[in-house]
Amino acid sequence: MLNFVVRRLLGMLPVLLAASLLTFLIASLLPGDLALVILGDQATPENVAALRRDMGLDQPLWWRYLSWLGHVLQGDLGRSFRTGQTVLQAVAERIPVSLQLMLMAEFIGLLIGVPVAIACAARAGSAFDRFMTGSAFAMLSMPSFLVAILLIYLFAVELHWLPATGYVPFTEEPLANLRFFVLPALTLALAEWPGIMRVLRSDMIATLQEDYIALAKAKGLKPARILFVHALKPSSLTLVTVTGINIGRLLGGTLIVESIFALPGIGRLLVGAIYTRDLVILQGVVLLVACGFVLVNFIVDMLYAVLDPRIRHGHA
Amino acid sequence: MTKIAAAARKHAPIFLVAAFAVLPPAEPAQAQKSGGSITVGQELDIAGFDPLKVGVYDTSTFTAAAAIFDTLTTLNEKGEAAPKLAVSWTHSEDYKSWTFKLREGVKFHDGTPFNAQAFKENFDRQKDPANKCRCAFYITNIKEVLAPDEYTVVYNLTDPSVNLPATITIQSQNNVVHSPTAWKTKGDDYNRNPVGTGPYILKSWTAGDRMVLEKNPNYWDKGRPYLDRIILKPLPDAQSRFASLQSGEADIIWDDEADADNITRAQKDPKLTVHTYKGSGAAVYAFNTKVAPFDDVRVRQALVMALDRPKMSQAISNGLSRPATNPYGDGSWVKCKDDGALPFDVEKAKALIKDYGKPVEFKMLVTATPRGRMVGQVLQQFWKRVGANMEIEQVDQATIPSRAFPRQFQMTPWRIVDLADPDPQMYANFRSGSPLALAGYSNPELDKLLDHARVTPDLGERTEDYCAISRLINKEAIWFWTFQNTYYALSSAKLKGFPKIYNGVIDVSTTWLE
Repeated sequence: MLNFVVRRLLGMLPVLLAASLLTFLIASLLPGDLALVILGDQATPENVAALRRDMGLDQPLWWRYLSWLGHVLQGDLGRSFRTGQTVLQAVAERIPVSLQLMLMAEFIGLLIGVPVAIACAARAGSAFDRFMTGSAFAMLSMPSFLVAILLIYLFAVELHWLPATGYVPFTEEPLANLRFFVLPALTLALAEWPGIMRVLRSDMIATLQEDYIALAKAKGLKPARILFVHALKPSSLTLVTVTGINIGRLLGGTLIVESIFALPGIGRLLVGAIYTRDLVILQGVVLLVACGFVLVNFIVDMLYAVLDPRIRHGHA
Repeated sequence: MTKIAAAARKHAPIFLVAAFAVLPPAEPAQAQKSGGSITVGQELDIAGFDPLKVGVYDTSTFTAAAAIFDTLTTLNEKGEAAPKLAVSWTHSEDYKSWTFKLREGVKFHDGTPFNAQAFKENFDRQKDPANKCRCAFYITNIKEVLAPDEYTVVYNLTDPSVNLPATITIQSQNNVVHSPTAWKTKGDDYNRNPVGTGPYILKSWTAGDRMVLEKNPNYWDKGRPYLDRIILKPLPDAQSRFASLQSGEADIIWDDEADADNITRAQKDPKLTVHTYKGSGAAVYAFNTKVAPFDDVRVRQALVMALDRPKMSQAISNGLSRPATNPYGDGSWVKCKDDGALPFDVEKAKALIKDYGKPVEFKMLVTATPRGRMVGQVLQQFWKRVGANMEIEQVDQATIPSRAFPRQFQMTPWRIVDLADPDPQMYANFRSGSPLALAGYSNPELDKLLDHARVTPDLGERTEDYCAISRLINKEAIWFWTFQNTYYALSSAKLKGFPKIYNGVIDVSTTWLE
């Protein structure tokens, strides 16, 4: 197992390096001069040239990349030229919001997706199965901004059950905090459960045709026990992958959802950075997100190994 | 305000932007009630208040600045300069020097006394070349600010300004007065910990979430403010911002014509009030007259005559946008009997293009926003109809000024913002040799009118000058105007005392809850 962990960790290094290079290039090759952005449109050419020199923008690209990477490795991702905040400060302030949103969304997604998948698999081909599979398709094709607005109008404007926008930290008012997260998390979850459901449903249908299930049935075990105890775990391998990938995808979803529900998370930070051309924040946040994604993938790999021993021994 | 407008304001050729922040509020018949708290839904996150850091304030920052800071002057109901931190003023004969007497006994929130020295330090800090402040651009017409005694401030200007006290009323990065002690002691942290003399004190600020302002108990204007607390929240999405107002989470929200459906809905809702202000200025477009095909007046005139503004208004804002025929607008004191606007005439436009004889093909800059694209497409259709082919070049908001100033464009969008006086913008946009005269057009007659208007105190004469300027620009078609500036805020009907939204500033420091 240790061997496996070390192998995977080493495998992450080139990925992280590539991510850092791409992040740097995206921000550096965007049209527009960073010095001009900082100094504004009324800057004199001399001012711009001086700032470019100060910031090393007159150096070749490879030199700038290495110097930036050097700083990053020492934990210095730079400072927003707009607010003066360091990237790490800005991200540290915002990350709890996005993590809470993603975890709640994934949780709600699983809460809807897993039982529906099991129910569908148990009665594959039935009217219920066809209806739920169809609904899943319909939900997948609904853009999240539309879902968000519909939920807001129903639950906030018409029924007054939940707030339309806003946020309080969990540490201040736990209940109010959860209320603020219900609609945004539900918006994301409604796009999540179809994927979860479809993957688990088809895996489970396959599992239910295995010999040992037939044996379990023959032994007279209750259908619920067969489904939850004997069939669920072996069918959930793909689900773990999908859940892992979803976390990355969810981060994309937060860009829209955090803006609509006015949640002060990473997504909003990123949108704001793009809008105001705060390239330092943009670069830093994208890099951190890429690292987060790589980390999630690593965790998924580890979970795989736990779920299916064949993987850590290199047989699969 | 639209994003185009926000960008245009940022880069607008003005040195001192002015607004008509009306104090006391416009509903004197009602009794003001003290106490309570309101939430304001804004469009943008506020970056900060230190002009050295943020350069130029955006609309959301204006709203906060109106509560935290004071300016020297404000505007009364008639749009004339009225006292605020300054109690009186005089000018030299040539209008190149203005002397302000300051209010005594005023203190900043941190206890620092407000006086001429504090004011001068604010100005010097922005002007100091070593500080490289973007904010310095907007005060290039001010040579120096002197503090001859504790309560006297003297502005020495490079050019005459007959209306300076009115043009310094807006709560912009240049005009609001910061506590020198605060920026000196807080350093980098000052940007997010602003200290002014205004009616509200910053209590707390969570990035991206909320800013809490509490009543200043020692405010110099006794009895004000009325509300105990103001909470400013960035709600970037227009739909959910409106939903927050409907569900009661916000008491007042910023809005604009791009969100026409919600404005119409609010007009029909008895629980809501639509505050709107028909400002001065307009959304405008400049032709580069130095390059083909716009070096020929026939082509320029043809394109202007091809514009069907009411139809365009319908397409982009459900008819809410108000057509403009001159750069001044309904909110300006300049009212022209004849502004020389070219008529909408497709046949005449076709004839002019035909007369020109060569193919009319050009590129137009538009902002890469949904609104920018839509405006570009509508114009493209109008012009196609008269035989001109326009190619849309979508660029980033910040790219427009950096393309416009070195004249790297054939046609560019711009904006004339809501000002108490047309002089600063008109002079910068149209005087020969001005770095901001984007059309590259020069005309001694136009220069004479602009020069005369800026040194003449008589409003009648100035009106005549500005109308003559409009006639000349319209005839030569060096710029054209599409829609007048209109500003919107939607609030709960319980919120009273809300002043006019001059220059898009939502000033809630004078409001109360019924």
